[in-house]
Amino acid sequence: MFSHYIDLSWRSFKRTPLVSLLMVIAIGVGIGITMTSLSVYHMMSMDPIPEKSDKLHAVQLQIMDEESSWWTPDDLPYQLTYQDAESLQNADLPYKRTALMKSGFSVHLDSDKLQPFMAIGRLASRQAFEMFNLSFKHGAPWSAEQEESATPVAVISQSMSKKLFGTDNGVGKNFYLDDLNVQVTGVIADWQINIKYYDLNNGAFNEPEQIFLPFSLIKAYEIDTWGNTNGWKNEDLRNFTNKMQSEHVWLQFWIELNSEEDKKAFGDYLMNYMHEQKKLGRFERAKLEYGLKDVNEWITYFEVVNEDNKILVALSFMFLAVCLANILGLLLAKFLRRAPEVGVRRALGASKTQVFYQHIVEVAMLGLMGGLIGILVAQLGLWGIRHSYDYYSNLANMDLSMLFAAPVIAITACIVAGMYPAWLVCKTTPSIYLKSQ
Amino acid sequence: MLEIKPIFNALLRSKVGAVLLLIQIAITTAIVSNAAFIIKDRLDYLNQPTGYQEENMFKFNVMTFGTDVDLAQQAELDEASIRALPGVIDAVTINAIPLSGGGSSTSYRLKPAPEKAKSVNASYFTADEHALNTFGVELVEGRNFTESEVAHDLDNTQSANVALATKALMDELFPNGDGLGQVIYSGTKPYKVIGIVGMMKGPWMKLEERKDRSVIIPYVRIEKFNKFLVRTEPGRRAEVMQQIESLIHKNYSKRVVQDLAGLDKKKADYVAEDRLMMRMLVILISVLVLVTALGIFGLTLFNINKRTKQIGTRRALGARKSAIISYFVVENSLICIAGLVLGVCGAVLLGQQLMANYSVPALSNWYVAFTAIAVFVMSLLAVIGPARRAANIDPSIATRTI
Repeated sequence: MFSHYIDLSWRSFKRTPLVSLLMVIAIGVGIGITMTSLSVYHMMSMDPIPEKSDKLHAVQLQIMDEESSWWTPDDLPYQLTYQDAESLQNADLPYKRTALMKSGFSVHLDSDKLQPFMAIGRLASRQAFEMFNLSFKHGAPWSAEQEESATPVAVISQSMSKKLFGTDNGVGKNFYLDDLNVQVTGVIADWQINIKYYDLNNGAFNEPEQIFLPFSLIKAYEIDTWGNTNGWKNEDLRNFTNKMQSEHVWLQFWIELNSEEDKKAFGDYLMNYMHEQKKLGRFERAKLEYGLKDVNEWITYFEVVNEDNKILVALSFMFLAVCLANILGLLLAKFLRRAPEVGVRRALGASKTQVFYQHIVEVAMLGLMGGLIGILVAQLGLWGIRHSYDYYSNLANMDLSMLFAAPVIAITACIVAGMYPAWLVCKTTPSIYLKSQ
Repeated sequence: MLEIKPIFNALLRSKVGAVLLLIQIAITTAIVSNAAFIIKDRLDYLNQPTGYQEENMFKFNVMTFGTDVDLAQQAELDEASIRALPGVIDAVTINAIPLSGGGSSTSYRLKPAPEKAKSVNASYFTADEHALNTFGVELVEGRNFTESEVAHDLDNTQSANVALATKALMDELFPNGDGLGQVIYSGTKPYKVIGIVGMMKGPWMKLEERKDRSVIIPYVRIEKFNKFLVRTEPGRRAEVMQQIESLIHKNYSKRVVQDLAGLDKKKADYVAEDRLMMRMLVILISVLVLVTALGIFGLTLFNINKRTKQIGTRRALGARKSAIISYFVVENSLICIAGLVLGVCGAVLLGQQLMANYSVPALSNWYVAFTAIAVFVMSLLAVIGPARRAANIDPSIATRTI
């Protein structure tokens, strides 16, 4: 029966090709525009590490005095001071954790074999790789001893290894960051994420780094940040030691807490730490506060999905509503015109349900066609976005779920729109039409 | 005359189609007027004057990895050799590039910290005396700083005592206009304002961010990573840019030249997101208007087909072609006007929602009015074709059976 209905639908489509085409195009364009903005929205708001997004937490401390304020909703600075990051990193705690800092270097081999180039690097603890689910292709993270003694070692990505040494396995090889000779201890698979959730403060959609260095090198080699440094009080920073001892905030800190108890325990530790520091004249506020936000909370906190995108998604759905009203009107006209024919079918014994079903199949078919056109339109739109804004090149893509969502939304929308016309037409009393024939 | 009553009665008999059209027109009006308003807002932002000749300026970064070189001396040498290139007006090493979206800012106050005093946030540029000429902005009052006033900070001990400030900053700090020669403070550091420069954007373009408040400080601190800004004679930028990398490497080879780009390119990258939003809205409203027009077109066509017999009868009874056309035009106009009334309300509501939830300015009524007129014209254009087709229906059709 179903195939018969599809056949009927196709005949009906061909009988009024212009109007049918109009409907398919209307739904196609509506779905296309909606899917374009929805895809970007989806990519922006997608959980970047679903396996452990509720376990990884960004740490914030209320370092400021009573008079200063931050622009965040909870008045906490995004980043930590060097002193606090270092203390938390070196504290005797059972949780995996890492301080993070973005830096930049000229990368070269001190030979003519490779044209020197600039690259962004990240300073981290050796636990960062396990925390952020970075898998090693070759080698391993640097050792705890190397981290402690600030040995110039690095973990690089597969692509970086290829670029530097022409091979996937660069373990044991040496290269230069500025004038620092570093040895590769491990090669990880390229880090593929859409949102750089671990450092939203410095460009949420930038590419992840491909060079990782021990956090301890910051102090040993005076490696400065290439990200934001924010000061809240007047301090005269004359050199890097001043900066490390200052109350300026410029480092990120992440910790893996596997249960509510861990979270509670670590929270207590932070409160304790701040009270200890208070005795030394830091953390001047009467009310001490800390922040522990998991990955998704962190992304929301930073308002990663920007306003423009939300406005676009809202307008797109309104646009889709216009397309649906459009289709509903056309379907109504089309179906009612066919009432005499339906009258005959009803008189010949077709039940109301069958007539209704037949028409729903017809609109679903229109929806499917519209959905397919919609995917094409959306691909075109996303191509346009990638083309005009490099920064969105990883975001302006349809993943499988969006690809699947397009026809589903289209068919559902069409069925919703077709419900009323189909119901109207199945109500047809056969006798009226039989008489007028 | 316009037979409104019978048309209205006929409409009542097929309410649903009319209501759907009405809804379409209402939503279209609401979306288009708000989107057009946002587009205009973005256009103003994208086209605002910057104070720079962006098409004659470019920037690049130099990262030195060699250690057998005096960085400060090398920077001076680089500057001199770039300035000597034919076609170059001036060049300077600088801490931040205008219009690039990245730079530094701090608060400037009338008294040294921690005294309470009026304080205003401004971006700051640090460079030598060539900065003003490289920017190519106008000095409104006072003078530029001289070579001897530039603090060449080699060992973190030097700081500058004088500064240039933009008129926007001075107007805010000294509303009486007597700012020239006065001292402003960054923290505890005093700077005597010796010159006031005209309109120039800082590293950021968004108005809410520090407006056009900037300070230029005669301070040079050369490190491994340096930024250069160059202004060339009109039309000679490409030729100069081509020579930069080889020139820098010729001067000293153990370094990387990076991000060599025109200032117009940097600005385009910086505003890309806003331009994208504007383009997407333009596409959205164009397609939306088209879809609505097609909807009107399709529905009228259907109505005509449905009423072929009636139209034929009317024609046979003596109705002129123009009467048939005007019937459909009036019918459509009735629906359209009702839709517009609803749409105008919707537009204002949507505008209020956008303003309440997002940083969208208050919707101007002109946009709503203009959109309403445009949608009305569009609906007339969409209906006129099918209406003419209806007018051409042969009266004899009425005499035939189906």
